[in-house]
Amino acid sequence: MALRWNEIEVGARAGELDKGRMSSSHIMRWSAAVENWHRIHYDHRFATEHDKLPDILINGSWKQHVLVQLVKDALGPEGWPWKIKFRYRKMDVAGDSIRARAEVVAKQEIDGLGFVTLRVELTDQNGAVSTGGFAIGVLPVPGGPRVPYPFVPKPAFEAVQMPADE
Amino acid sequence: MSATGQPTSADFDRYRGMTGRTLVAGMPLERDTLRRFVQAIMDTDPLYVDAVHAAGTKFGEMVAPPLYPVHAFRPPIGGPDPLDVLRTDPDADGSAGNDGMYFGLTPIDSPFKRLLNGGNEIEFFRCLAVGEKCVANARYADVQLKQGKSGSLLLVVIETTFSTEQGERLLVNRQTLIWR
Repeated sequence: MALRWNEIEVGARAGELDKGRMSSSHIMRWSAAVENWHRIHYDHRFATEHDKLPDILINGSWKQHVLVQLVKDALGPEGWPWKIKFRYRKMDVAGDSIRARAEVVAKQEIDGLGFVTLRVELTDQNGAVSTGGFAIGVLPVPGGPRVPYPFVPKPAFEAVQMPADE
Repeated sequence: MSATGQPTSADFDRYRGMTGRTLVAGMPLERDTLRRFVQAIMDTDPLYVDAVHAAGTKFGEMVAPPLYPVHAFRPPIGGPDPLDVLRTDPDADGSAGNDGMYFGLTPIDSPFKRLLNGGNEIEFFRCLAVGEKCVANARYADVQLKQGKSGSLLLVVIETTFSTEQGERLLVNRQTLIWR
């Protein structure tokens, strides 16, 4: 269910995605889709013996799309995922289960548009955060204009501050 | 390099603010490329695969997920094979020295071997549509040599602007890379 401006409360859960257990096949499918041939993502011997990793790695490049999808889905078809920032805090490897969640940390109305700031995280099956950050999304406000597309930000929108890293 | 052979800030000053060549994707976004991509990220949004549905949205046509442009650049036909190195170096990592982060920039020449992704800050303006070609312009927004607990590290921020061939901005990605 997409966020609705009048119902948004700071501290509330804003969205969740469950990508399930990531097998080596899922990781290989991503590497093939984007033609990334780095062997730490599909060659178990290379990853564990050469690079001394615990297993083949889930690509950070894949995880960033999960965060963007989380924000895009939370905002729904009338919203726009304006900004996102995130940092990688730990590795995820084959066999890990990946979940994404978003939480509202602020909301602000400017020029008839609603700006919602979200904390976004990816966690593994143990609840450990592997990737975390913040996003700013734009939503229509009841009685206000549609969110423009393409989204060309006005200078006034810069009043919406991205939170500092945690 | 210093007299002791250690890198100094002066070794990297020339990179700060340096821009790369404009990179143009070899192919426009194709539906089947998009299908494979969204299946790999497991996003079932019909916007990406159903032309009739997409026509009824604000996009008016099938588009790629917002962050797709960072993956729009593939080895061109007739160009060097990125896997050739494995014929002569069985221990090569397969990345051909570039995991899709330079986007036309001259790679930084440094003695550091270990690369960490320090995170991203991204601003989105619109999505790449099926049939459109992506263009990338990158610059070294910041390059700093720092002293960490376990020695020197090189902090690099690459800012890449992705646009359509008509010059409409798609997104700006500021990626922080850390070499140790």
